[in-house]
Amino acid sequence: MEQRLANCWRLTVNEKKFIESALLSDVRVDGRGPLDYRKLNIKFGKNDGSAEVQLGETRVMSYVSAQLVQPYRDRPNEGTLSIFTEFSPMADPSFEPGRPGESAVELGRIIDRGLRESRAIDTESLCILSAKLVWAIRVDIHILDNAGNLVDAANIAALASLLTFRRPECSLGGEDGQQVVVHPPEVREPLPLIIHHLPVAVTFGYFSNENLVVLDPTYHEEAVMTGRMTATLNANGDVCAIQKPGGQEISHRVIMHCLRLAHVKAGDMTAKIKDAVEKHNTERALQKIKRHSSSVAVDVCGTTASLGGKQNQSDGDKEGSRLDQLKLKDETKSMECDATSSAQVQSNKKDGSSKNFVGGPSSWDPYSDCVNSDLLKASLASRGHSTPSKKKDSRRETKPEEPQNEVKIDSAPMDTALTSGQSNEGKTLKDAVKPKHKRKKKKGSSNNAN
Amino acid sequence: MEMDRPDGRSPNQLRPLACSRSVLHRAHGSATWAQGETKVLAAVYGPKAGTKKNENPEKASIEIIWKPNTGHIGQADREYEMILKKTFESICIRTIYPNTTTSIVVQVVHDDGALLPCAINAACAALVDAGIPLRHLAVAICCSVTDNNCIILDPSKQEEEKAKAFAYLVFPNTTVSVVPEKSLQAGSDPMAHGIITSVTHGAMSERGRATTQRLSEFLRKNMEPKSTREASKAG
Repeated sequence: MEQRLANCWRLTVNEKKFIESALLSDVRVDGRGPLDYRKLNIKFGKNDGSAEVQLGETRVMSYVSAQLVQPYRDRPNEGTLSIFTEFSPMADPSFEPGRPGESAVELGRIIDRGLRESRAIDTESLCILSAKLVWAIRVDIHILDNAGNLVDAANIAALASLLTFRRPECSLGGEDGQQVVVHPPEVREPLPLIIHHLPVAVTFGYFSNENLVVLDPTYHEEAVMTGRMTATLNANGDVCAIQKPGGQEISHRVIMHCLRLAHVKAGDMTAKIKDAVEKHNTERALQKIKRHSSSVAVDVCGTTASLGGKQNQSDGDKEGSRLDQLKLKDETKSMECDATSSAQVQSNKKDGSSKNFVGGPSSWDPYSDCVNSDLLKASLASRGHSTPSKKKDSRRETKPEEPQNEVKIDSAPMDTALTSGQSNEGKTLKDAVKPKHKRKKKKGSSNNAN
Repeated sequence: MEMDRPDGRSPNQLRPLACSRSVLHRAHGSATWAQGETKVLAAVYGPKAGTKKNENPEKASIEIIWKPNTGHIGQADREYEMILKKTFESICIRTIYPNTTTSIVVQVVHDDGALLPCAINAACAALVDAGIPLRHLAVAICCSVTDNNCIILDPSKQEEEKAKAFAYLVFPNTTVSVVPEKSLQAGSDPMAHGIITSVTHGAMSERGRATTQRLSEFLRKNMEPKSTREASKAG
């Protein structure tokens, strides 16, 4: 629609001159140096494989999903990876919905080349049945806010989401070993993708003055600059891809200089991405532990399991106030009874799926040791008996009966490692907190351990 | 009839709400709205010149673009676009800017049930953020009927899949309005899935309206502090 173009933003002559003359004195409009990146912020969504990246004001969201398909004829043992880029009309008034435009396709190709040619993702591990069934990984990149340098931001988003994506585990079964059984995440822990290295894209902008090179251009700078180059490198210094789409000619000396710069920046970026992913993974693992413990015993272990997770934060607190804090804290997965949650908007609800979650012991055990550490026992041994028990009584009364029944059934088929871990935890806390309350359920689970 | 929902809510209880406005920098207005885990991001680009061919040029027209999480745009997405369009056409004052198009872009961030009401709420907040003149705000709620004929509000994805039928209700956010008939007119009574008898329909509307009280309070509270922000960027 021509109307869209009529509504889009145009750079004024004054702004253009200002940007160029400021760069001559190594100053950029937002106060950065010519070779500084903007602030990078990586957030992860609820699903495995969803990430949102903010590079300054540019905002990009990325999703990874997987499907079982037939492989290509010439590559029967390899899975496929495809990148879909969407320049959402919300990012820029000049972006139109519908078929992706030229720049969208180019962005998709740069990211795709960086991942595919360098074989960053191991596609052979995605093969289930040779020539019949393989995993097709699909990365959807949505550009939400265009404030310049979409390539770098989209690349980081794609990498972050691929690192946190988990695909369901499947095994071969049936009479002839040809039947593929896909296990849902509740039954078997989903697997991460095998990623060998992280190809990071670094974009340079060139201006009419040869000596001006700018890293991570903003939207205004992009409108002023006369040429651009994107170099995709990994932390080892391997060049995975280079893209220079027309524009001003650059001497090879400048290109080599830029590649060296890109190497340094790629190292930085890789470290930042890995940090963010690490943090996210630890949080996820902690949450899984809370879910496990709460599925065994509703009130006691539920609260205390979350206590374990929040050890660092609640160490210095008093017992009574600790319980109050736990109730109100957003991060805990403790159940809230309906009577107390009059402020419903703020209260946190436990996820329905968490109760039925019986995951594999493999991901659970290492962390359960951390939770059962001496810290937990020491802090709980010092607890008073009266206040916690009172509070727990009132909470337990209003709890529905169902989850407790579920708990009994669930605890039976669990692996020994699981039960011993959980009831061990239960024993420590129960013994410390409630010696008087001898409910049948607890006896049952402690008997299981014995 | 008591009913135990998997996440422990009572049948009339909503999931925790979260709303933030002005999240994007290029868009004239933007908002995210989260109900529990369902999260939607909406952006508004203020009146642009011209209307599409089959639109009435005497009035402002609203254009909705629905972007799903993954996958190509399908029939369901087009349906959502139509519903949102009708809903917002009844809310916006269309006679102010004739022969212009206001675009609302809705991006699904995460779908955990009650997606369409969440999107309507998000788009409404984004319209306010953009400064588009509205007759009144819209609050949307999802009611579903479960297998044992129990009406529950704001179902999660699990509950939605098991529900016999569900309906999305949109109500105007007028100041304490005592007139029931008027409220029923506003906003299409959008999608209804499954079989809903008139009795349940009545019960749904009542309960829905009561809950929207709470929702509209939340919405109003959210709009207040931001009134001192910079002037609209539609210039």
